[in-house]
Amino acid sequence: MELFFQQVVNGLSLGALYGLIAVGYTVVYGIIQLINFAHGEIFMIGAFGALTAWLLIPGDSLSLWMLPVMLLAGMAAAVGTSLLTERFAYRPLRNAPRLAPLITAIGVSVVLQEFIRLFFGRIPGFPDAKSAIVFPQIDYVTGLAIQLGPITVQRAALFTIIALVICWGFLNVFVNRTQVGRAMQATSQDPDTARLMGINVDRIIMVAFALGAALAAVAGLCWGLRYTNVEFRMGFVAGLKAFTAAVLGGIGNINGAVVGGLVLGVIEVMATTYIPGQFGGSAWKDVWAFVILILVLVFRPQGLLGARVVDRA
Amino acid sequence: MTTMPRLITPERQQRSDPAAGWVGIAGGVVLAASAFLPWAYAFQALDGMSLFGYPSPLQILGMVLGLLVAGLIICSRRIKPRAKIRVGWVRGAKAAGTGALVFLILVTVAIALELGGLVNVVWGGWIALLGAVIAFVGTRLMVADPTPTLERATLPAWLEILAIAVVMAAVLFASAYVLNLDDGGAFVAFLAFLITVVAVMLRTGAMGWLSAVSRRHRQVLILSAFVVAFLFPFTQGGSDANMSIATQILIFAATAMGLNIVVGLAGLLDLGYIAFLGAGAFTAAVLSKSAFSTVNFHPPFLVTALISGLVAATLGLIIGSPTLRVSGDYLAIVTLGFGEIFRLTMGNLDGENGPNITRGPNGIPAIPNLEAGGFDFGKPHTILGFDLGRFANYYFLLLIFLAFVILVFTRLNNSRIGRGWVAIREDEKAAEAMGVNTFGLKLFAFASGAFLAGLAGSIKAHVDVSITPDQFIFLESAFLLAAIVLGGMGTVLGVLVGATLLKLLPEKLRFISEYRLLAFGLLLILMMRFRPEGLIPSQRRQLEFHEENEELAERIEEEVEDTGALKGAAL
Repeated sequence: MELFFQQVVNGLSLGALYGLIAVGYTVVYGIIQLINFAHGEIFMIGAFGALTAWLLIPGDSLSLWMLPVMLLAGMAAAVGTSLLTERFAYRPLRNAPRLAPLITAIGVSVVLQEFIRLFFGRIPGFPDAKSAIVFPQIDYVTGLAIQLGPITVQRAALFTIIALVICWGFLNVFVNRTQVGRAMQATSQDPDTARLMGINVDRIIMVAFALGAALAAVAGLCWGLRYTNVEFRMGFVAGLKAFTAAVLGGIGNINGAVVGGLVLGVIEVMATTYIPGQFGGSAWKDVWAFVILILVLVFRPQGLLGARVVDRA
Repeated sequence: MTTMPRLITPERQQRSDPAAGWVGIAGGVVLAASAFLPWAYAFQALDGMSLFGYPSPLQILGMVLGLLVAGLIICSRRIKPRAKIRVGWVRGAKAAGTGALVFLILVTVAIALELGGLVNVVWGGWIALLGAVIAFVGTRLMVADPTPTLERATLPAWLEILAIAVVMAAVLFASAYVLNLDDGGAFVAFLAFLITVVAVMLRTGAMGWLSAVSRRHRQVLILSAFVVAFLFPFTQGGSDANMSIATQILIFAATAMGLNIVVGLAGLLDLGYIAFLGAGAFTAAVLSKSAFSTVNFHPPFLVTALISGLVAATLGLIIGSPTLRVSGDYLAIVTLGFGEIFRLTMGNLDGENGPNITRGPNGIPAIPNLEAGGFDFGKPHTILGFDLGRFANYYFLLLIFLAFVILVFTRLNNSRIGRGWVAIREDEKAAEAMGVNTFGLKLFAFASGAFLAGLAGSIKAHVDVSITPDQFIFLESAFLLAAIVLGGMGTVLGVLVGATLLKLLPEKLRFISEYRLLAFGLLLILMMRFRPEGLIPSQRRQLEFHEENEELAERIEEEVEDTGALKGAAL
């Protein structure tokens, strides 16, 4: 039983990462029905943005003060990149057949990965990005694990869960209480009517991209603290799983994305622990995550909490 | 062109037209003459253009472009226009002028890059560039003639067939020449030349005439294309270096053609298609007589190939039957997930994390060469005095296979099934309402595409000797998709061109190998932005992306009336 609760905690902290990234997929899909394939790379850019801030500030300080600086830098990098891709890659294709933006998204994903791989190390004093880079381990949020009775919690894992809770709260206030948030809901329900009501749909789409990117940057920072290194490739599988989480929760549904992320994280950890014999173990964990994706799409395509997408195809 | 400020207005062209013709001719002549002058300071640049009086091959190409500009302008002035059959002389001259300028700029840049600095471009090079600029400006200032109607022209049948033969011979010669260019700069310049020639043919209407001719003599065209491809190994003088690239292109093209059924015809976006190739390759590898094979059953290759295809098709059915009910975007992600599942599973079946079938990340090496009736594919053979190496043997096999895949593709496309697919692609709900069995047809597209990929994989296993899971990463699926998108969805020729470009360019442009993927990603984005229908689109597909283009719509309408059915999609 101890093992079980230990794994629940591990799963929740993993799922919190997925949830943070999944929100980006869900808000964008909810509004323009685009699987933003490059969102995993936005998450990766967020992590590298945070790393850049740390590298640029002299003194290799690991004090807690660095954390907000890194977070803001990561968010700036992720949001900036996301808005640029939206403006120059996706927006011109708004009325194209649906295959076109999806292929563009694949292109954007490749370009962003290659961009980091090739050019990050060119900045003087920066480590080569062709292999994994060690991420600074900030005091207090990393280090000695915390013991809660029999359960061990890594500090970074706890930090991730807290970050998710804060972001979730912020998200709900933003979407339900602010004017922009409500405009976003209206646009996702019916963009044409929203436009008639005086909503600037282009701006709302930009807000959606920025919102997703900001949360992805939080996830990127958490990832760096938790797994102690970052890599140009890290966005691909993480993005794919986060998309799974978004579908699991019901695409277009922001709360669903968070719940889906947590559920997926727990299932993945449980499958690794409890599937007996050769097919258990960490070698198969990604396989089980993708099997879940397929099963959900087949048996409950609307997701756990129900999709909030109007089929306009 | 549309976004440029209107520097050249129709009125200005009207005024300048008489003089502009002479300017264009002068530019062309200057460019042609400059071929005899040295262009570069040292011999090492490109293909030796530092000599006075001895033009290098690339300089001769420059000369051809110059003469083309001058000749086309002279033709436009001297040959009286006929009412029924119009030739776009000036249009062609404009294309040649632009192409000549691009060609010269590329050559200049290449000299500068290869020798280190623009100082290495000597006076002859600058004169050539000047000639190209003059030719470009001159042709730009001319008034374009009306749309060419050369396709209405008919010649005696034997002359038309001869024209096809000449074009095919030119294709053979050009491809043999281009593959032997080791210099990246020369390769790019030659490519620019080829594109210019095609553009000139398009603009003058010669291409329209050729396509009309090839429609009239369809069998001749297909046969001659096959003959040319068949003759290609004989131009290589026993060298296997280019044949190795050629076999890779053929495998890639055949796989892309299978994916074209799924994506291009049925409109189902499959992002994990490489898994089916992998399934076929692993099946063939395990069933081969490799010392590392993990099963004790080694049937002859034809049986193996069939089993490989069936295994892949079964996987296609398993993954397709539940997921084809969900909407299009979800299918893309499910197939992507499936591709990852396949790759990870192949990596895990190593005896430790699962049963030992694929030997995990090590894969199955030392797959023996094929053998058919005493003909060993691994050994070089001499036919009619020509040496043919190992890859040439596989090249012939793959050529036959590609022909088979193309046959399947076109037959399906022109059948009731193909029309059902197009209906599904355009509007699934409407198709269903009209009585099309949408689910069955989609499943069939998925399974048949997978079957062809499985067959391709079984040959790939023997060509590549060693099969490992990391040959089947997501990026390979993206490459296959890009080949289709680049060439033109749903067409045969487009996919062949796209596959060739995507495999050939990285081989020849080794100096940008580091930036290969970056360029690939940018290419995808730019293609979708500026030419989403691909380089050689089917006309119907082109209309989908440019709904406002009424002229195109009318042309397609006419064609439908002419032939009774739409043939634009087939070749």
